[in-house]
Amino acid sequence: MNVNDLKIKMIELFSDSFMYSTELNGNELYIEADSGNIRDLCLQVNSNLGFPLVSMFANDERQLNGNFAVYYVFADRENSLALILKILINPENPIFPSVSDKLYAAAAYEREIHDMFGITPLNHPGLDRIVFHGNWPEGLYPLRKDYDRSYKPPFDKLETRFSKVEGEGIYEIPVGPVHAGIIEPGHFRFSVAGEPIINLEAQLSYVHKGIEKLSEDESIEKCFYISERISGDETFSNSLAFCQAVERAAGVKIPERAEFSRVVFAEIERLTSHLGDLGGICTDVAYGFAAYQFQMLRAWTYNLADQLCGMRFLRSVNKPGGLRKDFIEGKQKVIAEYTEKIKKELIDTVDIIKSKSMFVDRVENTGILKNEIAVDLNAVGPAGRASGIRHDVRKDFPYAAYGKLEFNVPEHGNGDVNCRMNVKIEECFEAISLIQQATEIMPEGKICESIGDIVPYRFALGMTESPRGENVHWIMTGKNNTVFRYKIRTPSFCNWPALCHAVKGNIVPDFPLINKSFNLSYAGNDL
Amino acid sequence: MFRTIGKIIKYPRLTLKYPAKPMDSRFFIGKPEIDQSKCNNCGECISRCPSSAFKTDTGSGISIDLNRCLFCSLCEDVCKAGAICMTDKFELASRNIKSQTNPPFIVEDRNLPQTDFEQIGLKIKNKINRIFGRSLQIREVDAGSCNGCDYEITAVNNPINDIERFGIHFVASPRHADMLLVTGTASRNMELALIKTYNATPDPKLVVAVGACACSGGIFRDSYATRNGINTIVPVDVYIPGCPPRPQAILYGILKAIERL
Repeated sequence: MNVNDLKIKMIELFSDSFMYSTELNGNELYIEADSGNIRDLCLQVNSNLGFPLVSMFANDERQLNGNFAVYYVFADRENSLALILKILINPENPIFPSVSDKLYAAAAYEREIHDMFGITPLNHPGLDRIVFHGNWPEGLYPLRKDYDRSYKPPFDKLETRFSKVEGEGIYEIPVGPVHAGIIEPGHFRFSVAGEPIINLEAQLSYVHKGIEKLSEDESIEKCFYISERISGDETFSNSLAFCQAVERAAGVKIPERAEFSRVVFAEIERLTSHLGDLGGICTDVAYGFAAYQFQMLRAWTYNLADQLCGMRFLRSVNKPGGLRKDFIEGKQKVIAEYTEKIKKELIDTVDIIKSKSMFVDRVENTGILKNEIAVDLNAVGPAGRASGIRHDVRKDFPYAAYGKLEFNVPEHGNGDVNCRMNVKIEECFEAISLIQQATEIMPEGKICESIGDIVPYRFALGMTESPRGENVHWIMTGKNNTVFRYKIRTPSFCNWPALCHAVKGNIVPDFPLINKSFNLSYAGNDL
Repeated sequence: MFRTIGKIIKYPRLTLKYPAKPMDSRFFIGKPEIDQSKCNNCGECISRCPSSAFKTDTGSGISIDLNRCLFCSLCEDVCKAGAICMTDKFELASRNIKSQTNPPFIVEDRNLPQTDFEQIGLKIKNKINRIFGRSLQIREVDAGSCNGCDYEITAVNNPINDIERFGIHFVASPRHADMLLVTGTASRNMELALIKTYNATPDPKLVVAVGACACSGGIFRDSYATRNGINTIVPVDVYIPGCPPRPQAILYGILKAIERL
């Protein structure tokens, strides 16, 4: 099915609720609907067509058409298509119908829209603040265009509500935002009876920096550097998603050599991230030897990155239109040596840890994320794949050179720490194989194409599979090669609610282990 | 069991000898330097630098504020005169008190003496040297980073860099700490937590800002939700530039803060 077939199908099914539609960038179908019908339309698309909601955001288009707009992005993962529904909202009465009571994945997005734009989703089941804490005054909405981005309002003292679990012997454990380990800040409120966790509520957004606002009206060049700093260890995938969105909006096809080089760097990043997680899992069950083995392996991947580009976090490697330099040229031997060395050591280490029954005992059946919950919340990446959602952007929406390379997407069904760990182990081997394949068959040639001037108010999606999962960026260009709106949806945003479900029924000391097996980014969630 | 022992024998020591032996920094991207004789003051670097790190001083020409620099190499790429060059210098931590022109505006509610922060810093430093000798306990605080700096601080603890060989430990509570290692821009939601953490750390204490965000706000300057660096909230002793600074640069900064270099 291509984008035209989807359009015909949509017209057949919902002809009465359409206003107009456009196809863009090859696989994106934009349909403008009436806000009265949107609830019905979203639920039908989700349940009848089976498309998950992968992103949802608002846009202040008052200077373009006098209205606010809300976009619902659905993904047809079988056919590599994106269906984007759009409604316009009158700024005099900024309300729209909530879909969260049926489409659970929408809940967090709707709260975000309410915080940032002051557009109210009617009948939302729990419309608490998500981005702002009690210190932010009411009635100020930073993503509206008339908000001055450097204005820091005075501190307010509003109450933050947490859900209360009551009963005999039940008590709360508040943790954070400053944690005991070297990790990012977040506040966790556990309700426990004895040791098992009954409920976990996570208050995040401690590192909210206003990235989306900072990107607005900035040059595409500067936004690229901002996109690299969304989440440190996903630098390359985030910048790649941004670059892909820009390239699609500009209609530029990047050179083949750049496509293959991007695969090499994206897989180095995945390898680094997964090895770190495996080390973290071992640390959290106090298995020192294995933790140090994985840390050593991770250090080797950093050394490889260092030798290729001089930046351990692969910063300033990408560039809209290709790569900044031909980093691979002359380094094929280094890559081959390192990948072989890492592969050999990884096989040995995995063998050792899997033969330790004490270790396997800790990870098996710990922190189970049920398949139904994972589907409802659109859990992505290794967490989703461990719960039986066998989707990967590299297969579903092939980008860079992934369509030309051989690799498997691992699948496990139990949804526990063990499955997530196994997914990551298998992905490490796939990553090594992808790096080797890509360096071998990489064609010679140019490494970067000029982007040129982009027509104002063009928009495009950029999707990548970051180490943590599906990464969806959407940009709308402005005048003079600037960015009008940049919506970032990182995998962590989808997986945080899933984590809160996975810990239920587990004991508090297992929380760090479960948390590490998800390895979510706070910065990527908080923006 | 035997395989575990086998691995331990195979990799007896991974730890680098740094700082006793210098790092092989051939591949590193470090401090950008300007060759003033080649610079024609075209201003391209000033207008395109993503974190506005360049400034012009009348007389001395264009200079770079390292605390803001992202080490992104864009200036090297865009300089038509070829005057800017990325070097491999990564040991960039400095006390840099002069750049700390505006004193912290939120001061803890204790009775601080009416001396300026330079002198307080000096006193604290002497005290720490006297009291702690050569051992140090560190508490890390992420006050709004992208997590890059935090991963590098984790790497300071890995077997490659192993900071514990200096008698320096990362501890779980600020109440056990002598030094706060702060990353991030001090986001609005972390301000209070940072102040509370600072106040919970017993005197005398040192504060080290890690990364461009903590030093100056970096690329996230002037947002509604960030402050431009943590020195707008707490007094800072040492600044470690970098985005993120590599583990050895952090190690260098920490050792510099306790004057062991």
